[in-house]
Amino acid sequence: MFYKNIINGDDSRDGKESPNYLLNLIDTPGHVDFSYEVSRSLAACQGVLLVVDAAQGVQAQTVANFYLAFESNLSIIPVINKIDQPTADPDRVKAQLKSMFDLDASDVLLTSAKTGKGLEHVLPAVIERIPPPPGKSDSSLRMLLLDSYFDEYRGVICHVAVVDGALRKGDKISSAATGKSYEALDIGIMHPELTPTGILFTGQVGYVISGMRSTKEARIGDTIYHTRSTVDVVPLPGFKPAKHMVFSGLFPADGSDFEALNHAIEKLTCNDASVSVAKETSTALGLGFRCGFLGLLHMDVFHQRLEQEYGAHIISTVPTVPYIYEYSDGSKLEVQNPAALPSNPKQRVVACWEPTVIATIVMPSEYVGSVITLLSERRGEQLEYSFIDSQRVFMKYRLPLREVVIDFYNELKSITSGYASFDYEDSDYQQSDLVKLDILLNGQPVDAMSTIVHNSKSYRVGRELVDKLKKVIDRQMFEISIQAAIGSKVIARETITAMRKNVLAKCYGGDVSRKRKLLEKQKEGKKRMKRVGSVDVPQEAFHELLKVS
Amino acid sequence: MLLRLCFANQTDTDIDKKKQVSVSLHLSLQTQSAPLSTTVTCCTMLKSTFTPMYWFLAPKPKPQKLSSNLIKNTFSNSTPNVRQNSSLKQNPIINPTSAYIHLPFCRKRCHYCDFTIVALGSASTQTHDDPRVINYVQWLCREINATKMEEKPAPLQTVFFGGGTPSLVPPSMVSNVLETLKMKFGLSESAEISMEMDPGTFDYKKMQEMMLLGVNRVSLGVQAFQEKLLKSCGRAHGLEEVHEAIDIVKKCGVENWSIDLIASLPHQTSEMWEESLRLTIEAQPTHVSVYDLQIEQGTKFGKLYVPGEFPLPSETQSADFYKMASKILCDANYNHYEISSYCKNGYECKHNYTYWKNNPFYAFGLGSTSLIGGLRFSRPKKMNEYTKFVQNLENGLINSSSDNNINSKDTATDVVMLSLRTARGLDLKRFQESFGSSLVLSLLELYKPYVESGHVVFLDEQRRTIRIDDTDNSLLYETNSERRVAYMRLSDPNGFLLSNELISLAFGVIDSWKDYPSALQEAT
Repeated sequence: MFYKNIINGDDSRDGKESPNYLLNLIDTPGHVDFSYEVSRSLAACQGVLLVVDAAQGVQAQTVANFYLAFESNLSIIPVINKIDQPTADPDRVKAQLKSMFDLDASDVLLTSAKTGKGLEHVLPAVIERIPPPPGKSDSSLRMLLLDSYFDEYRGVICHVAVVDGALRKGDKISSAATGKSYEALDIGIMHPELTPTGILFTGQVGYVISGMRSTKEARIGDTIYHTRSTVDVVPLPGFKPAKHMVFSGLFPADGSDFEALNHAIEKLTCNDASVSVAKETSTALGLGFRCGFLGLLHMDVFHQRLEQEYGAHIISTVPTVPYIYEYSDGSKLEVQNPAALPSNPKQRVVACWEPTVIATIVMPSEYVGSVITLLSERRGEQLEYSFIDSQRVFMKYRLPLREVVIDFYNELKSITSGYASFDYEDSDYQQSDLVKLDILLNGQPVDAMSTIVHNSKSYRVGRELVDKLKKVIDRQMFEISIQAAIGSKVIARETITAMRKNVLAKCYGGDVSRKRKLLEKQKEGKKRMKRVGSVDVPQEAFHELLKVS
Repeated sequence: MLLRLCFANQTDTDIDKKKQVSVSLHLSLQTQSAPLSTTVTCCTMLKSTFTPMYWFLAPKPKPQKLSSNLIKNTFSNSTPNVRQNSSLKQNPIINPTSAYIHLPFCRKRCHYCDFTIVALGSASTQTHDDPRVINYVQWLCREINATKMEEKPAPLQTVFFGGGTPSLVPPSMVSNVLETLKMKFGLSESAEISMEMDPGTFDYKKMQEMMLLGVNRVSLGVQAFQEKLLKSCGRAHGLEEVHEAIDIVKKCGVENWSIDLIASLPHQTSEMWEESLRLTIEAQPTHVSVYDLQIEQGTKFGKLYVPGEFPLPSETQSADFYKMASKILCDANYNHYEISSYCKNGYECKHNYTYWKNNPFYAFGLGSTSLIGGLRFSRPKKMNEYTKFVQNLENGLINSSSDNNINSKDTATDVVMLSLRTARGLDLKRFQESFGSSLVLSLLELYKPYVESGHVVFLDEQRRTIRIDDTDNSLLYETNSERRVAYMRLSDPNGFLLSNELISLAFGVIDSWKDYPSALQEAT
């Protein structure tokens, strides 16, 4: 998931010259959320194996990863895998590779990892077609930090590629990004387990253990050099700090579990430095955290790990993207939490911007109509439209990130029966007509339920939210009004009438225990509710809201 | 102790228990287990294996000291004064002075009933020679005799024959039971002896015989005054029998009697409900019980109907029925003294008040539940398990009262739940003596908004309503007794109608009640 599995193949072969090659294989995550990590891994490589499924052909991720490799000037070896499958059509895939990427059909390797067919050609092709690493072994040390993870016993373990010079055990090293210095306590290669070598030469990929406490110190893409080096070291290009594209509030389902959640998040971020965490207080949900993620998958994985590895029960608020608001006095506000945006600002809003993405979608042509409908509902702007072959269509769209964040992929999958593939890359901010939509229960705004939406959709979203809430909130002793409002203007309203009767008509000696159990159950139900003013809101209400676009 | 599912006796009072409620399946502390069997088979088995023996041979007195747990003390039995709420007398020993007797026989099972009953067949109006009844009453007497107790039991102040249909049992057998009770515990001269009676199961002679035995309160299971409704809920009697039964009770001069009605039956209209209430008032009983039909799983109604859906009345209609009963009966000078009970002045059911005050009580017979020493104990509801239980009791293998360790939180929960069902409400002074002031303050705080909304009423020492229009929190410590909250109760009818909601809110407060060990000390 977060950590690339790096296998060091020490591949001795009996070729003509029978030399030994040290090959490093890095498996990259395919998902867009981690495209920065992918780009850093690619920066440590000289070539790539572009693996395509023989039955499915070119997918959106194939396109994205091809261009990443292509732009990094890497040698590309196309591999068509799964040729053993009955539905495999390698010739068609070859044609797609030719038309999309101008890859020569004769260069394509055909393999079946399952049966082993064709695999013998892969490593010779790697040695033949991919050049050895460049780099100056006589110049001073420069290493690219390409990955890191946290080991409970040994601390942070960094994966590095030595670009120039050499690193010996015991050397003092510094980070260009943080300026901190460390000692290389243990170094070696992955073979595939950590194998100490005491030295890493130019071009080698290996690990360094240097006593870092947290992966936050190990910035991916960072340049590491000798602390003592006298010349100014020029950092390697391409380093970027993590950019958080999706934010959501995380609250303990039971308010008293805040400390436990705090602890779980602390531990988890030890291992995943790319999450930003800040404390947040909500009137409805109490104390919690506002977390920033690289993308949607990253957020999902983080939530799941919290629940599965730490047993934390959480309520997550609707994910939001960072908007920028500009006010008439010239001030700008980056909004990561809709609740933080004033509903009735003192200053007039001059403009607001939202982040967009460039989405790549590949799908069978029969779904084009419904996908285009979906994309225009999501305020998409078409950039490119072409046929990969007679049956598959390739499209590029500019989409507001917000529209992608909420349930887009699920909907895409369902309208295309799962045949569409989708990928996206971050793009610019664009100006947009955005409004803050508040949800009010009995006139009281529920901060954890407010969202920022495009004006054109605000009525529909408001109506949908109100209807959903009406379904999940039970009748209570008082009448409850549910309203959606923009500023002070109510745009949708529903009423839940008061409960008329909830009485156990009979309660005698033998019934006491049973009646009591019934009421205990009712009490437990109330405990799981979040109280907003006088209204008990079930946790499902918050989960349901996640699904409204 | 092991937890098992068991049937709780329904000791209800003035009603024919089959009615709405039904079985109470509940988890209870219980020390006995036995194989399952159907009611029918147990009866057969009894017939063939039971050797008659004389009930008076059985007693094996094994005096047992009841532990004097603090909390238990606070609920010690007191004089059966109806006006008294959870009695907190500091008696060192708690002796139950109430006994519930379960007589499970019915002619047939009503469609709403999931109680522990034994259906004898619709033709069975004469039961004096039915071996199922004879054997059962013998086991019942053996159970009474095998019960361990204090050396000096207090004489019983209330006895309640519930069922089933107790009026199906011949007076001679009822006499056996009463004699056994009298010998074992003593029976106060002024004891209230109630019996649930169904129309069509007794005549003038039987009623008189019962009265001669000491039965002085009758709870008549009328349920409805419409032939159609009686039929559709599977009652074994028709409207004619209802009128006959009322005539018999009145002609015999039973002074204290109750009519039991069920509201929200399928196809019941508000006209029908109004008619039932009117005819009830015309019959001039001293007590009326009004139950709301509850649809229980496993009953015929449970299979046929969904609550709130046609032909059952909607929640709104059903709430209107409840309000209608409250209004019409109160206008006819009945006091609405408990969620489902109404009576003329001074005719509260003393036996039921034992339950609502959380005072101890004995219970004997199939599936019945007793409360002794703070422990609720449910007897097996299968006949063969029950007979084994009685044998074990005789052999000293089981004890149906508790030894110790009654959780004060549990007790507080029971007291709140039971007393808020009554019009008298929760007596805060006594509650504070037992559980400390922090809990009382939390409850006051909890219910304040509901006082404003009209669901809860705070009362002072003289039971005058206190208005809480100011923000001060010293309602409990107010020196001016007119401003000090002495009782809290649910309002009639709005608070009663939402009693589950309101009481479960209090459960939440008791649940998060942290300092109860200190409250315990306070109680000493």
